[in-house]
Order: sequence, then C-alpha cells, then structure tokens
Amino acid sequence: MTFEFPKSLDDLPISSPKWVGKPVNRVEDPQLVTGKTEFIDNITLPGMVHCAILHSPHAHARIKSIDMSRAAALLGVVATLTGEDAERWSRPMYTTPQGWGGYVLATDKVRFVGEPVAAVAATSRYIAEDALELIDVEYEPIDPIVDAFSAAQPGSPKVFEEHDDNIMYQRVFTWGEVDESFQKADHVYKESFRWNRVGANPLETFGVISEWDLVDDTLTCRGAFQTASFMAMGRAATFRLPSNKVRFIAQPHGGSFGGKGGGRGTDITLMLSRKAAGRPVKWIEDRMEYLSSGGSQAWDRHYEASIAVNDDGTVTALRVKLLDDMGATAEGFGATGAVKPMASFTGCYAIPNAEYDLTLVATNKLPASPYRGMGPPPHNFVLEQMMDIAARDLGLDPAEMRRRNFIPADQFPYIIASGNEYDSGEYEAALDKVLEMAGYEQLRREQEEARAQGRHVGIGVVSTIEPGVFDWNAYTVIGTQGIGIPEGVTVAIDTMGKITARVGFALEGQGQYTVVTQLLAEYFGVELEDVRVVLADNLSAPPNFGPGGSRLGVAITGAVLGAAQRLTEKLTKVAAKLFEVQPEDVELLDGMLRVKSVPESQLSVANAAAIMLNRSDMLPPDVDPSPQATFAWTAPGRVEPDEQGRVKSYLTAANACHLVMVEVDPDTGQVEILKYYIADDCGTRLNPANVEGMVQGAVAQGVGATLLEEYVYDDDGQLLTASFMDYLLPTIHEVPFPEKAALVTPSPFTPLGAKGAGESAIHTTPAAIMCAINDALLPLGVRAKEVPASPNRLWKLIQGASG
Amino acid sequence: MKPASFEYFAPTSVADAVSLLQEHGLEAKLLAGGQSLVPLLNMRLARPTVVIDVNRVDGLSYVREDGDALAIGAMTHQREVERAELVQRVNPLLHAATRLIGHPQIRNRGTVGGSIAHADPAAELPAVALALDAEMHITGPNGEKAVPAADFFVTYLTTTLEPAEMLTEVRVPALPQGTGWSIQEMARRHGDFALAGATVTLSMNGGMCSDARVVLFGVGATPLRVQQAEERLIGERVDAALISEIGREISSSIDEPLADIHATSEYRRNLAGVLTERALVEALGRAA
Ligand SMILES: Cc1cc2nc3c(=O)[nH]c(=O)nc-3n(C[C@H](O)[C@H](O)[C@H](O)COP(=O)(O)OP(=O)(O)OC[C@H]3O[C@@H](n4cnc5c(N)ncnc54)[C@H](O)[C@@H]3O)c2cc1C
Repeated sequence: MTFEFPKSLDDLPISSPKWVGKPVNRVEDPQLVTGKTEFIDNITLPGMVHCAILHSPHAHARIKSIDMSRAAALLGVVATLTGEDAERWSRPMYTTPQGWGGYVLATDKVRFVGEPVAAVAATSRYIAEDALELIDVEYEPIDPIVDAFSAAQPGSPKVFEEHDDNIMYQRVFTWGEVDESFQKADHVYKESFRWNRVGANPLETFGVISEWDLVDDTLTCRGAFQTASFMAMGRAATFRLPSNKVRFIAQPHGGSFGGKGGGRGTDITLMLSRKAAGRPVKWIEDRMEYLSSGGSQAWDRHYEASIAVNDDGTVTALRVKLLDDMGATAEGFGATGAVKPMASFTGCYAIPNAEYDLTLVATNKLPASPYRGMGPPPHNFVLEQMMDIAARDLGLDPAEMRRRNFIPADQFPYIIASGNEYDSGEYEAALDKVLEMAGYEQLRREQEEARAQGRHVGIGVVSTIEPGVFDWNAYTVIGTQGIGIPEGVTVAIDTMGKITARVGFALEGQGQYTVVTQLLAEYFGVELEDVRVVLADNLSAPPNFGPGGSRLGVAITGAVLGAAQRLTEKLTKVAAKLFEVQPEDVELLDGMLRVKSVPESQLSVANAAAIMLNRSDMLPPDVDPSPQATFAWTAPGRVEPDEQGRVKSYLTAANACHLVMVEVDPDTGQVEILKYYIADDCGTRLNPANVEGMVQGAVAQGVGATLLEEYVYDDDGQLLTASFMDYLLPTIHEVPFPEKAALVTPSPFTPLGAKGAGESAIHTTPAAIMCAINDALLPLGVRAKEVPASPNRLWKLIQGASG
Repeated sequence: MKPASFEYFAPTSVADAVSLLQEHGLEAKLLAGGQSLVPLLNMRLARPTVVIDVNRVDGLSYVREDGDALAIGAMTHQREVERAELVQRVNPLLHAATRLIGHPQIRNRGTVGGSIAHADPAAELPAVALALDAEMHITGPNGEKAVPAADFFVTYLTTTLEPAEMLTEVRVPALPQGTGWSIQEMARRHGDFALAGATVTLSMNGGMCSDARVVLFGVGATPLRVQQAEERLIGERVDAALISEIGREISSSIDEPLADIHATSEYRRNLAGVLTERALVEALGRAA
C-alpha cells in the first residue's frame, strides 16, 4: 500500500489548524522545570552497586601487568574487571571504518589518555573510586603519536601494529570536470585552514544501570541512550546473545548532541553485573571522564581548499582536502562527520565541479565522536572563507558574491555536484531578508565610520545548508552498512477516547513529544491534554532509530500521520457500518467521522473507538476490536552511492542566512559580537517555538566553537582541557540573541513540507563569525584561518601585521 | 569525582577551630565557602584527612565601618560585600573588584577570607587587598596578630598563614575622597579567573599626581605591586603619553608570567601593559 502523506497543513482533516504550526508550549516542560523528570541518576534498583572506571594516564603505552588483588580486597568492592574479561566475554568494538578498535577495556596497550583499563563495582561510588587507587598497573610508555601530519607520514610509529600505517581511510572523490575548471578559470584562490577539536557537551553526561540476568542470560540496560534500539542491537552482537534477549530502556536525558555514545560504559557495567551475580551496576560518567574519555570530542581538522572563479564572480569548481584527526580508534561513528559534508559540499551554490580529498588518520587522542551538525560546520567555515577571499579580490560585496552563485529558486529539486539532492530553497530571498533586517547599507556605513576612527569592525554574511533526514545510504562509503533508520509509532485510542502514542525514542530535549502531541491532537480534533506520548523499550516499540541527523521531526511526523491514517481507515469502517453507508462515503473532519452527503450523520472518533472495543456486535466483519495502528516511516528513493560516492542521502535541505557584525580589540584580540541577524528556512514549522529554540541553542554552540571551545593536547598526548575550567563553554553572557526571521519554503518530499531543523545554526554561526572577524582585520592585511579565534591567537596575528 | 575519605568537624568558635588545626596540623583543611576547596577534594588533588568546616563559627560574617577602615569578617560571603551599600560608599574599588569574582552563584558561597587565604594569583581580592594596604587579622595558638597585605602573599596559593592559624578579619582602609580608582581585567568569559588584571588608585593634586598604586594580578606568583610605575606617576601631570609609556614599560619589564593554554607569557605581558593603561585612564577620569 502506498501512502499519500498530507503535503501541507491544509491537507489535514481539520477546518483550520489549531495546534500544528503554532508555538504551543512544550508538553515536556512542566515535568522538567518542576524537577520531576526521572533521569538515570535518580534511579536506584534493589541490590544496585556502583561502577568506577580506571582510565589510562598515558597516551600510548604497553600494559605489562594489571594487579586487581588489592582493589578486590577492599571492603565494599563486589566485582572487578579488566581487559581479560572483555576478551573472554565480548567482541572488539564495532568501528567505522572497520577494524580500527579494540575491546572496551584495554588489553595489550593503551592508545589514549582516558582509555578505560580496569573497572570495579562497589557498594558506593566513593568506595569504588577508593578501589581504583589500589589497582596496580605496570605500563611501558611508548612515544605518543599526537600530530596528525606526522601520523599520516609513511613510516610513522603506529597506533595499531596490525595496520600498515595510521591511515584509517583515504579517498579522493571527483565530481565533474575539476582539473579543466581550474585550468580555465579566470582566478584561482587557495588557502589552508585549521579547525581545532570541539565537541558535544550536554548538560547531563552519560549514565547507565546494567543487569546481566545469569539465569536466562538476558541483559537489561536503563540509561541515557540517544538511540536505544541501535545500542541494543550492538550489545547483542558484542556479547553474542540473541537480540531479543537484550532489553534497553532509555531514560529521559539531558541532551546528547552526539555525545551520548555510551558503548563502553554500557558494556563495562554489563560485564561487571555478570561478575557480580547479576546485581544491577550503575555508572554515571562524571564530567572529567566525559571530557577526557567520553563522546565529547569531534572535528580535529586540517584543511586545504581552492576555488576556481570567473571574472564575474561565478565559482566553477571547489577543491577541499581534509586531514581529519580521528584519535585512537574509529569507535563511536566520529568518522561519519568527515563524510556528511558530501551532503552539502558546495553549500548554497551552483558550483558544478568539485573534489574531496579525504584522509582519516589515527593518533593517540580520544576517539572522535559525532557532534551536532555531524561535520559540515568546519567545511562550511572553509567554503565561506573562500567565497569571501574571492569576493575581496574581485571587488565584490560578500553578499553580492553569494547572490551570483546561489542555486536559483526555480531549479529545485537540485542535485549538487557531490550527488545529494536538495528538495527546495529560496536562498536569495533569505539573503534579502537578512540584509533588510540588518539595514545592510547603513551597517556598512557604520563600519566605514568605525574604521575611520581606528576601530576594527567587520561584517560577515553567509548562507549555508542544513542537510536534514539522513538515511542508511549516507555513510556507506566508510562502511556503515546495516544501519536502517525507520521511525515508528503506535497510536491507540482507548475506551475513554484518550490517545496514546508509543514511541521508541526517549525525551532528549528537542521537543519531539510535543510535535507528536500536536499532530495527533490536530488529526483527531482533540485537545493536547487528550494525547499522551509514552516511551517503549526496544523489545516493545515499533521500529525506531531516534534523534540524529536532523531527522526525527520529519520522520516522526510521517510515522504519526501514517498511523493516524491507518487508524482512521478502521474507524471509518465502524462509522460506515453504523450509518449503513460505504466506507468511501465517510470522512474524518474536525474529530468527527461523518457521512459526506449527510453531515448530520456523524460519530466522534472517541465513540467510534469505544464501539470497536466494547460492542462486538457493531464491528464490521473485517475489523478487529483494536483502535490502534502502527506505522514506521522511512524516506523513499534511497539507493546505494555511485562509484564516486554520489548519493541522495539527506532528504531535505534547510537554509539559513546569517549576518554578524563584530569588533576586534587589536590590543587584546578580544572579539565582541555587536549585531546578529538570522533568516532561517526549514520549510513548514511544525512548532515555531521549537525551531526558535533549536536555532538559539545552535548559535550558542557555534559561538563556543568559534571563539572559546577547544580540546587541547600537549606533545605527550595529555589532555589539557579536562574540566570546564579550561574547556570553555559559552555562557549566557557570551551568547548573542540574534534577531530571527522565518522563511517557509516547504519541502515537496516530506509530510507537511517540514525539513530537518535540529542541527540548525551550528552550520552557519562559525562561518559567519569568522567572515566578520576577517572583514574586521582586513585593513590590517591579516587573515584568521584557525578556529577558535581566541584572543591570544588574534592578538598574535595582529602583532604580525603591525610588526 | 568523589573525595577521598576524611574526618569532618564543625566547630562553633574560632578557639575550637584553631585547637582542631593545632591538633591535626598539616593533615587538616579549613572549609569556608568550598568554592575552591571542594573541587580540589573531588578531583583528589587535595587529600586532607581532616576537614574543619568553619561555617558554624559565629561572629565571623560582617562588614563594619571601623574608623577609617572597613572591617570584614573572614566568613563574610563575597555577595554580601558586593551588596553592602557601605562598601560601595566607603570603598568603591573593593565593591567593583568583588563583582568580578566568578558569578553570583559563586559569590553567594565564596567568602572573603577564603579567597584571600587561598591566594590564587589571578584572584581579585588579594590584588585589591595589596593595592589598598589591607591588614589580615589572624588567630593562632599564640593569640591574635595582624599582617599587612604586603607581607601576606608568599607565592602561588601560599600565604604566611601557619598551619594552625586562621584568618578571621580583613581590614581594608577606606579609599580617601577624590581618589581615582580602577580595576581592569581580561577573562576568556564573563566570570572566569582573569588571564591578567590591573588595579590602580590615583590621587591628583593641582593637576599633579600625589599618590599612586599600581597592582597587577594573574601575571606572577602573587599580586604584583609595580613601584616603578608608581614612581613614574607621582609628581607628574598624568597624560596619554605618560600612560602609554607606563603600559609599554610594564609589558617589557615584568618577569616572564606563567603560560597556559589560554595565554602565552608574551600575551600576558601585553595584557598587563594594556590593562594598566586602561586602568590609569579610568582612574584619572575618576580622580578629583
Ligand atoms: C566557577 C568559579 C569561578 C570562580 N571565579 C573566580 C574569580 O573570577 N575570581 C576569584 O577571585 N575567585 C574565583 N573563584 C573562587 C572563589 O572566589 C572562591 O570563593 C575563593 O577562591 C575561595 O573562597 P571559599 O570561601 O570558597 O574558600 P574554600 O574553598 O572553602 O577554601 C579555600 C582555601 O582557603 C582556606 N581557608 C578558607 N577560609 C580560611 C580562613 N578563614 N583562614 C584560613 N584559611 C582559610 C581553605 O582551607 C582552603 O585551603 C571561582 C570559583 C568558581 C567555582
């Protein structure tokens, strides 16, 4: 059966939308703001013990011996665990690319500071941490490999002896006539850039309680899981257990942003539980553990880029060479971040030819994780700097430069050089909107005046794409086969007419439960209070994946509308029998099932459901007494990549245009954001307040990445930013609240025309701020090419200019 | 991030606290606001076997005018100092400096005595204590004594306090009417410890500088008084040329400051000069 999804709000079975598209308050919030949401650390199970993990102090060392005897003898210690147990009971970690990882506890050697080496379970976390001090490990340090360029050299010492070198992946993707375009171009610009490690920092770190039932060999894990079903499947594979014996219960959690990996902590606690005769074992990752050994770090990148440009400013080709420092292993899907830029490689621009020269290298640092945006933010920073470099040289205003290269609004759907398809867009309209909001010409005059007074004021104007709704084929080029991402929901109406939606993803902060509630209340014409969204574990939920890749809003909309439609078909049959007409003669409108030609003959959805459940005599013969329906949504038309990695992977392309005005203090290198404007187009806004929250939060993370955040390793591979004293997250004082405008260009490909919007401004903010900084530095003749643009770095750069 | 185990005492008088300190010596640590000590305990960077919580000691939390000075009890929360109208009136520099400590949440807990006894070289209160000639009142096994700020700070996180001594009061002379003042600092984020800072007081008489204090923080092992700069100011007409000359001299003359991931020594030196210039300009504008 093929489904016709409503293409817009007008196609919903209501006279005028009451909930969808409105900034309704989030249903999640009352629990959250009154402190009633149950996070993993709130849970205590009978007999529960507490895990603490011993982390490697060395970046690279052989483990000569581990002696757990003193730790095991401490009063209160219940179980201890080392790599030997992991070797005996589990398989090495799943990695992408494959074959670049070890066990969850180090066996032969440690490969990064923070790598788990041993673990204990004790009656309190305090005792468990005391026990860690009694573990005797003998290490034989090896020279650490910290610099990505040296690591990539032939003959470099190796992170994994079993590999020929440290190159995890290397490939050049060529799309179109790249060499020819560079030869023929009127101008060629080339520059190199550095994006230092940043990453996800959710309010809550990872946490888990694991139970290994020794009687029937079943696993139960409760935890802060972003993708519980996917995690469950992984555990079954890791421990060679039937997948239906692994139960994962996701708790509501305080954000993820890609940082809630948790594989190691889950497996370690499971094995400790096995050793502790099945007692539940809790592990709450503390912030220092998270920063040094969790899912906290991403995007450690060295770029070289060149563009071929004609005299009129049109860009004919883009070349990007990336050396991405993945850290010690390829666990945790960090490598996908280097591939995702292919989904929006040429940004908003109609650049017909492109090349991506991609190298992933292993070093003795923490393995890279995913981070909101999944990789394009640094790529966009590079592309947008190149656009500005060309504009400057050609004497074009940066806004005009972009205008001349935009994919025109009448060319959608548009397939970009790297193969992804953009669904729709109005890039010029978004630019115009921002320029108008900002009063661009006036701002440029203010900038001139400031410059005349010796102030260093700059403006950045950039446009970017947010690829939304990733799919199974997005990352197959680096070996992520087998990760399908249907998203399902079961919708049930009970005897009292109340509606329950059962989903497989936990509350994480984005507000998707609200979206589900809005959609169902709208579809069946009830109040928001009549709908409740409940979480099911992996064994009872419909197929699901959860949030990730800016997909859940769109995917769950498809699922809800599909399930609602299926349910309506059943209800329609009930009404048809009651009114003695054919089902085709009955329609749902404003919560009523009514006979099209006789609108007075109508039955409420609640009553139809109650009839189904309670009056078998009134059931049509082909309808079972179950006012429930399940639907799992997945995007159509997703096939394997071609030989150059080209693939329609991300279904939607949201667009944003940011304009930022900054001032650089040349004496201190400090950057102040003076003005900030955003026009954002993510298609139909299911809940504009949710979108606004996503944009604002992503601006914060963008500001952090551009000006403050950086994971710093010294030459010995020691992490120098293992606490929030040194890893600087932006606070409310550092984050601007931009003036925001919404444009709505619906997606022709998705239910209701919504686009992925969860990653949002992190795609744009770093590029925009860096363009503004470089505009400010222009009179000094220097250019900032490294992110974050810390005061010390900018000051040094400016010193170079005047000295 | 759980502390190693320790024995906990909560004395209610200074005498009891001091005798506990005497009994346990170097094994013991006083706990005031805990804003510096508790993170150190949790990271197991400090491992006292005895923690003496002095939050229940009566009579150590006050801000009073005492002759020409403010007397501030060691256990007074920084937030109270910040909010005291008296402090704003009698010593606006102290008020301004207190506002630069962390965030309101930190100042709600952090104490004046804790900050000064902790002696972080980038902290504001030790710097203004030095700039204002504050006096530390200390109680120990041999009774009470007073130590001038100039003799109090020894090196990183180290003061002349003996293991069995407790800081009980800080006396800060009032800022004489007409004295210009300023405190300038550069931090990566609002509320962070300063990468570097400068505080200045300036008295002008008939267009000439009659007295000056220049103290830097965050650039050495303790707050640094820059007498050389003070001498350049006193007896001079303070103008833009002199100010930038002093700034340059400071940048080139101070001992190599500590480098960390946020600031190289070179950058800290530059900041010391730039911030001193800015402080001088602001203090001059305020001097009557
Ligand atoms: C996020 C954050 C930001 C901060 N930012 C700043 C900042 O910008 N500037 C700044 O100056 N500080 C800052 N601080 C530190 C804060 O000001 C602390 O309050 C202060 O350093 C210590 O005061 P406390 O009362 O908390 O002392 P505690 O942490 O309880 O004690 C600190 C030390 O002093 C000793 N001690 C305490 N009281 C006495 C006493 N009466 N006699 C003898 N010894 C004593 C203790 O034994 C301990 O060794 C920050 C702290 C945090 C957590």
